[in-house]
Amino acid sequence: MSKTNKDILIRLQNVWKTYTMGANKVHALRNMNFEAKRGEFVAIMGPSGSGKSTMVNLVGCLDIPTKGEIFLKHQNIAHLSESKLAQIRGQTIGFIFQQFNLIPTISALENVMLPMTFQNMVRSEREKRAAKLLDLVGLGDRLHHRPTELSGGQQQRVAIARSLSNDPELILADEPTGNLDSKTGVNVMSFLEKLNREQGKTIVMVTHDEKLSHIAERVAHLMDGQIINETRPTAKERRQSFLHSGLAPKESSISKKS
Amino acid sequence: MIRDIITYAVNNLRNRKMRSWLTVLSILIGIAAIFTLVSFGQGLSSYVNGLASKMGTDKIIALSSKSLTSGINEELFFTQDEVNLLGKVKGVAELSPNYLKGVQVTKDKKVVYSFGIGMSTGKDRRLVEEVFTVDIIRGRALKTGDRNKVVLGYNYLVPDKIFKKPVKVGDKLDINGRLFEVVGFFDELGNPSDDRNVYFTYAGFESLFPDLKDRYYQIIMRSSADTVPATVAARAKEKLRKYRGLKEGEENFDIQTFEQALQTFTSIITVINSILLLIALVSLIIAGVNIMNTMYTAVLERTKEIGIMKAVGAQNKDILVIVVVESSLLGVIGGIIGVMLGWGISSLGGKIAAGAGYALLSPVFPLWLILGCIFFGGGIGALAGYFPARSASRLRPVDSLRYE
Repeated sequence: MSKTNKDILIRLQNVWKTYTMGANKVHALRNMNFEAKRGEFVAIMGPSGSGKSTMVNLVGCLDIPTKGEIFLKHQNIAHLSESKLAQIRGQTIGFIFQQFNLIPTISALENVMLPMTFQNMVRSEREKRAAKLLDLVGLGDRLHHRPTELSGGQQQRVAIARSLSNDPELILADEPTGNLDSKTGVNVMSFLEKLNREQGKTIVMVTHDEKLSHIAERVAHLMDGQIINETRPTAKERRQSFLHSGLAPKESSISKKS
Repeated sequence: MIRDIITYAVNNLRNRKMRSWLTVLSILIGIAAIFTLVSFGQGLSSYVNGLASKMGTDKIIALSSKSLTSGINEELFFTQDEVNLLGKVKGVAELSPNYLKGVQVTKDKKVVYSFGIGMSTGKDRRLVEEVFTVDIIRGRALKTGDRNKVVLGYNYLVPDKIFKKPVKVGDKLDINGRLFEVVGFFDELGNPSDDRNVYFTYAGFESLFPDLKDRYYQIIMRSSADTVPATVAARAKEKLRKYRGLKEGEENFDIQTFEQALQTFTSIITVINSILLLIALVSLIIAGVNIMNTMYTAVLERTKEIGIMKAVGAQNKDILVIVVVESSLLGVIGGIIGVMLGWGISSLGGKIAAGAGYALLSPVFPLWLILGCIFFGGGIGALAGYFPARSASRLRPVDSLRYE
């Protein structure tokens, strides 16, 4: 997938998300409009309660908007059934969460195999692919460890491997480094950056670390459920971000999928 | 995929071992109870069927009491005239009347009480032996002229059953104060009361109980080949009723084919068995509620896990299957252990019953019962798991991911 193919992958059109809390109505998103192109790396910045996670949940088909339309690959997902949404989640989207969200009772390998299981891929193929993905994130020797036997950074790398298991076009990362120390966080960020650069994955990442956000091509700033402005980190900022994170853009071991 | 789901379910059950075992325990008790009851019920019905096929379908029994279960009333015993009357009923090919009276048997200073039966030594003796499906297993049968000789039931051969030392052919036994020589033994009948009977010739019985001469407790009849036994029985019943001057429905005796008599017996057993089965089923319903409770808790505990699975592409039906498989597994495990436990209980119970002389209480373990119990356990598990599974499958991914 080439980055030059900049067609629209995600489009939010006048999206509202309203929660009713007792007698009050809380608008998590207010008339939001947003677009992300195929192959883009977008960071979503904003204080807590600004609607970042709500936005990611809607794009990720984990929730449906109260009002408005959401298009994913030109398909309106705002009114789809749960089973249809589950299909899209399984085939098109890879999630990376702040809490890692691995299933504690099964091994790293089985965690990575899980999304493929729900796509009815044959077991031998799943096993092979999961092992390859774990090897890719440097956990080739930890296949049969359970999440509790792994460090935070290793768990997040398992989660990254899992997010890639069905070869999704879109990766949604909600504060992926939020639970990691800065060094490990940097490591994780480097993977995301490589995925975007070398495999052309579209990445939407929620963060509140301004410097980290500069790794992205574009930063959307949220406040009170609305995008107040969008910025594009300058070449200097991006370079500084890489320096800050200790990442120098370099040749990666991540190879393109065949 | 089903292999993954089962592996995952086994993992989950292992992760809450104690709770899983307690749930399994609740279901295995019910399954074990059902397995035990049905295995005995089947054993009994196969015993009865075997009996029926051995004795043939042409036999009719006339009892001098209202039914098999009512007591013995010497006043109502059949007279020789009544025996002759029944012999003339159309369709009765042959008949053989029996005396009956309680006797006191003494050996080595030990006194036991049993029934003395006076039976024919003629050709019609075969009729009695066929109905009671007994053969002489040691010694010989009674012959005409054996006035001071007896044949004994099987249990006299078993040490410590009736007498400490088994009785042998040729032994002399004190029966109601008179000595009788033992000439043979009948094979085991399978119930302790009949297996301790003492058999006399008519003459022997009459010499002991002169008052009961020509007063018979029961008459065994055989219907001729070209007739319907039940019709012959009804005809005989009507004839005797009229002879005794009784109204229909007020008979103080009973005549029916052996098949009918066995059916009565079987239906009593079936009723008792059904009541016990009902109790076992109630225990299984409770087990089902227990599984449901376990699965609701499990689903609640795994809310976040379910959210994760949904986020990575699990559809509602996938979650439904996962939870139902897990609860079915509890049921199947309960079913398997329940069958093993039930098998053990039945075998042990059968041995104890056989030891006590009730060889008719011998359980059988047909394959359909084994598989049926296991599937039934699984079915209860699946059914009990369905509602928790449905509520799990309907969890909204965004909410369940937030669940801590």
